Amino acid sequence: MLDLLTGVLSGAPARCSYAEARHVATDEEELLVRNGSVDSVDRSAADGVGVRVRTGGGWGFAATREATRAGVEHALARALAIAESQPATAAGPLVAVKPARGHWACAYDRDPFDVSLEDKLELLFAAEQALRGDPRIVRSDATCASRRVRTAFVSSEGAACSQERVECGGAISVIAVDGDELQVRSYPGAHGGSAACAGWEHVLGVDLAGNAPRIAAEAIELLSAPDCPAGRRTVILGGEQLALQIHESIGHALELDRMLLMEAAYAGTSWVSPGDLGALRYGSEHLNITADATLRGGLGTFGWDDEGVAATRTPLIEGGVLRAALSDRGSAAAIGLRRSGGCARADGFARQPIVRMTNVSIQAGDAGTLEDLVANTDEGLFLETNRSWSIDDRRLHFQFGTEVAREIHGGELGRLLRNPSYAGVTPQFWSGLDAVCSQSQWRLWGLGNCGKGEPGQVMRVSHGTAPARFRDVQVGVA
Amino acid sequence: MATRETPLQIAERALALVAVDEAQVTVVRERSLMSRFARSAPTQATEVDDTSVEILVVRDGHAALASTNRLDDDALRATARAADGAARAAAHGGPGTYPGLGEPSAAAPLRGGFDAATARLDPAGAAEALRATFAVAAEHGLEAFGAWTAGAVRTAIASSRATQLEEEVSDSFMKVVCRDESGRSGYASATAASAGEIDAAAVAQRAASKVGREPLAELGPGAYPVVLEPEAVGLLLEFLGGLAFNGLAHVEGRGALSGRLGTSVTAPAIDLADAPLHAGTLARGFDFEGVPKAPLALIDNGVARAVVHDRSSAALAGGDTRSTGHATAPGGSPYGPSPTNLVLRGGAATDVAALCAPITKGIYVTRLWYVNTVRDKETLLTGMTREGTFLIEDGEITRPLRDVRFTDSVLRLLEATEALTGEQRLVSEGEFYGRRFANGVLCPALRADGFRVTGATR
Repeated sequence: MLDLLTGVLSGAPARCSYAEARHVATDEEELLVRNGSVDSVDRSAADGVGVRVRTGGGWGFAATREATRAGVEHALARALAIAESQPATAAGPLVAVKPARGHWACAYDRDPFDVSLEDKLELLFAAEQALRGDPRIVRSDATCASRRVRTAFVSSEGAACSQERVECGGAISVIAVDGDELQVRSYPGAHGGSAACAGWEHVLGVDLAGNAPRIAAEAIELLSAPDCPAGRRTVILGGEQLALQIHESIGHALELDRMLLMEAAYAGTSWVSPGDLGALRYGSEHLNITADATLRGGLGTFGWDDEGVAATRTPLIEGGVLRAALSDRGSAAAIGLRRSGGCARADGFARQPIVRMTNVSIQAGDAGTLEDLVANTDEGLFLETNRSWSIDDRRLHFQFGTEVAREIHGGELGRLLRNPSYAGVTPQFWSGLDAVCSQSQWRLWGLGNCGKGEPGQVMRVSHGTAPARFRDVQVGVA
Repeated sequence: MATRETPLQIAERALALVAVDEAQVTVVRERSLMSRFARSAPTQATEVDDTSVEILVVRDGHAALASTNRLDDDALRATARAADGAARAAAHGGPGTYPGLGEPSAAAPLRGGFDAATARLDPAGAAEALRATFAVAAEHGLEAFGAWTAGAVRTAIASSRATQLEEEVSDSFMKVVCRDESGRSGYASATAASAGEIDAAAVAQRAASKVGREPLAELGPGAYPVVLEPEAVGLLLEFLGGLAFNGLAHVEGRGALSGRLGTSVTAPAIDLADAPLHAGTLARGFDFEGVPKAPLALIDNGVARAVVHDRSSAALAGGDTRSTGHATAPGGSPYGPSPTNLVLRGGAATDVAALCAPITKGIYVTRLWYVNTVRDKETLLTGMTREGTFLIEDGEITRPLRDVRFTDSVLRLLEATEALTGEQRLVSEGEFYGRRFANGVLCPALRADGFRVTGATR
């Protein structure tokens, strides 16, 4: 495929100042056991080529499912026609990149596509069965998903590289209803669980069946639990909820295309501006954030981004001070940076690369285990597992709901509370961070539903977190 | 070459390669063009030409799905084998609940819904729209941001029950955000089956008119009278579609209308239907199980009348319940069925000014953003206002208002609805994640009491 793409791009006309072609082949499988029966078994395979070109200041992109020489040549011609039809605009610079060469593959132990459907369903049946028993549980789900993405990338600047990523994950969830009350519990995380760039061993490792009875019991207990009270409280966020908090109020806010208003009409802008880099206090001294596309197991891990920029690790916030943004070649050049942050990513062959998160993580602190952190907290709430999320288009004012809260009294976990929610303003909230658990508590959480771009692109990212404590948080807002 | 075949021909060829008794082949060909712009300059333009083939195999009450976008016989055979293998594996766990494929039906006849000029996807048309938009923004001393898109989607279904259906629809969407140097911005959009119906300059003028020049007002948490423009109403109704009218959630007791059909759930002025054949919507003739589309009253004079079903949820409901033609995927989606052509009947108000007239102090909302469900059964949502929020004082829009967070129930808002404009507008988000399926809500602007504000941006 690299030869085919290279051959086509070598025929691009001289007026084309830049061209790239990306072949993407994706295999996916999703299984769902629901309420004692196999609800769905979906398998898909798709491949095609996307060609992006630049003539003058205009960009054009055309995607085709015909991954043949004729098909790619036609896509190149269409991309050129689209670029040349654009209203005239100045050509912004691109930062230089060393042409990507070679092959990269993510590490895994057992290819999930080598595991039989029967074995996967057996695991799901066992987990789902352990969720059932109480008639108030109206839905019990056990799911797993596997994904393989093979990419070949060629550019007119000499890049010719290929990579292969394998991902999988599994999850359980229940919905319990009693009259007008409805409660949800999920494990290991909401919204389809927590996938990883890993093999089947990742699904086995989360022990769905072993956690099912606890999840079901908590859902039932929540039906009659007291409502989470309103007020300003100390809050400890569990790792999964903290991952989404970072995603929404740090990751997106630090996308350089947003700061430059390129996403103003859809995803939005940012409360951060490029001039803030190096100076803005984003949060307390406990806040240390990195973007790392080299982490083993991350959904944002790769060899090269979709502009052929090698994966890298970039400190974004150090000691609470903003140091860098997430960038691609164009946005980096627009603010005078010398290199791209390697964050150009595209969803499949039919979408063009835009600035996305890789693995944006908070560094572990020194607060010990979750038990240690709770023991050192006199009064507060422990909030776990995301249930709802919303944030404004500048990534400033947010409101989250979680599936469950537990009271903290005198350093111990107490009653379960239902319908917990909290709200805040990004820099004030992160200024209230006063403790992060230690490395033993740190793990990656995969999010597979990050939407951005037009036409819409769903990106898969991971966030490394350890439970963390925040002071003076507004809770019980919904 | 395979692409010269129509989707129905591909579906029939694939069906002939499937060696099982019960199968459905769904073929969707998408051709689309999306041009984005920012700071009054083009930024990205994406053209897509893709065809997907989904093969659904049914065994012992289990429906398994496999898909490909390769159209040669070998790929189709392999896809059929993958679906059959999945169905066999599912059947190992015992019989399933899928009721099987339906008997063949004719598609509902569409009036309009496809425009050949739109389907040509001429990039010059996109460029013309962008130029007109930039010119309007410049006249107002503003910058323009947004997107223009057009698409043509041809869908075919062939099944072992002799279903043979095919239809082609087109769609176009444009949105414009006009923004001044201080960051104040205004939004407008247009949606239609034909790109020719979208007047880019008019959309841009409307967006520019929403950029408030007066000093910014602020409102604290509380409950306020509100006027919601169609874009805001449409988004709330889309959420209501999933929370209240999803037949699967309803049958499982999770739906907002579980146990409430036949009772009053909103103000009497609310008439809400799914009207897939309405000329003002993005019309459809059949769903992804090949069931013909038909109008369905959901709320009639404030009384909840029905929820929507696909074949699976109808079977779970039992009795005389039949699919209403709302499957969103072959074999039905795990999320359940969903209305895709909501129409809220207009009222007697002449325009939004008339809606504002009785309000002493309230909020005018152009659009909502990042709306999400807080509690399903209560239809409780939270989200932000964006790009065109104003203070209403003594019956008139007086000043731009700092964007607010709301946390409120859609059904409560519809219960507190006092008036609606006579004019309806087709509105959509124009997001197009995954396979292109253009849909929108045809609705008026409305005034409601007690809009619950729970916060504000800085």
